Amino acid sequence: MEVEIRIEPGRQEPKAVILAGAESEELRLLADSLSKLALGPIPVSRGEERLLLPQGDFLRFYADGKGVAAQTAGETCAVPLRLYELEERLDRTRFVRISNSEIINLDRVTAVDLSLSGTICMTLDGTVKSYVSRRYMKRIKETLNLGRRKGHETD
Amino acid sequence: MKQIKWSWAVRILAGAVLGLVFSVVLVSYMVGARGPSPVVCLLCAALGGAAGVATLPFADDGKSLLLYSAAHFGVTATLFALLIAQLGARGGELLAWLVILALVYAVIWLGRWVGWYVEVMQLRTLLGLAPGPSPLKWRETLPYLAFALLLCDVLPLLLYWADHAVSVDVPVLSGLLLPYILLPVAGFSSGLSLGMRQGVCPLYPVACFLCYLPMVFLLFNYTAMFHCFMAAVPALAGNVLGWLYRRAVPKKGRGAA
Repeated sequence: MEVEIRIEPGRQEPKAVILAGAESEELRLLADSLSKLALGPIPVSRGEERLLLPQGDFLRFYADGKGVAAQTAGETCAVPLRLYELEERLDRTRFVRISNSEIINLDRVTAVDLSLSGTICMTLDGTVKSYVSRRYMKRIKETLNLGRRKGHETD
Repeated sequence: MKQIKWSWAVRILAGAVLGLVFSVVLVSYMVGARGPSPVVCLLCAALGGAAGVATLPFADDGKSLLLYSAAHFGVTATLFALLIAQLGARGGELLAWLVILALVYAVIWLGRWVGWYVEVMQLRTLLGLAPGPSPLKWRETLPYLAFALLLCDVLPLLLYWADHAVSVDVPVLSGLLLPYILLPVAGFSSGLSLGMRQGVCPLYPVACFLCYLPMVFLLFNYTAMFHCFMAAVPALAGNVLGWLYRRAVPKKGRGAA
């Protein structure tokens, strides 16, 4: 398939247009999987400043008091969205909720450990520790299986 | 939350009914009396209810899992002890039944833990990470097994032989030096070394205990059972201390360790 990328300065979220001679099941599947991809940047507040950061920059989002905080490799910012709203906006093959109060970026997981008391700890970028609630294990595995399937499809 | 409460209620009820059936059918057969008393029926129903919710605490993790498990064991052990007492067990026999219950609990715990470990291994594979340590670090513990065998089997045999070769009245080497100095010091040191290198390895103290067990009956008698603990408990303490040191001191500082 021929793929063409056009850069449009000022565009916030990528848009894909599929050109084809006729409709087919494959085209519908392709359109479906593309529409599920959430690639848009996430708004954050750094003091008074408001900015949009690409999703790949984030290690995790977590409930912080009454609000939500986002952690990147170098800083922690406030996010003007609820965790459930973030779940809808984030790429579902890359971000997953691991407990009631935390969503992590699976691409940044560097270690997974199990304690004797059954606590599962995920280390992000080698330093940040996040604890997985077992109630979310099924969802995490589903997300990872989905990501792996996509990886095989693109191979 | 409502669903969880409902699930608990259904399981308790189903367990209680099964417990009641057990009391009517089996207890009468086992005890060989006219039939179970109302107290026995009640205790069987309560124990059935407790068994019904035995798997629910494992849905949580960390502190809540430990608390739920401890509370569940407490309730189950109390009900079980009352039931066994009602059926005529006393003193040592009652204690033996409680030890069996505790062992069953430990086996279930271990089974659950291995299940979680398999899940973590799956996560590691899916994330493309290194496989990590073996379950309960059995592979990492293996090199220390040779030391445990030397300490807990070869050394007692040598000291016992030395004691009898000298033929003194008091077996100073195997009866005093071994259990009160050599086993605790060597057990603690080896546990510490293992903890500093590999973290908590729960199988090492167990290995020390099991390695010494044949020596108790081969060289001494059941009164020397405490020798097993003199090796296993310091090994556990050393291992935990080594793990704490490993956590507290950054890797660079440990360098050659």
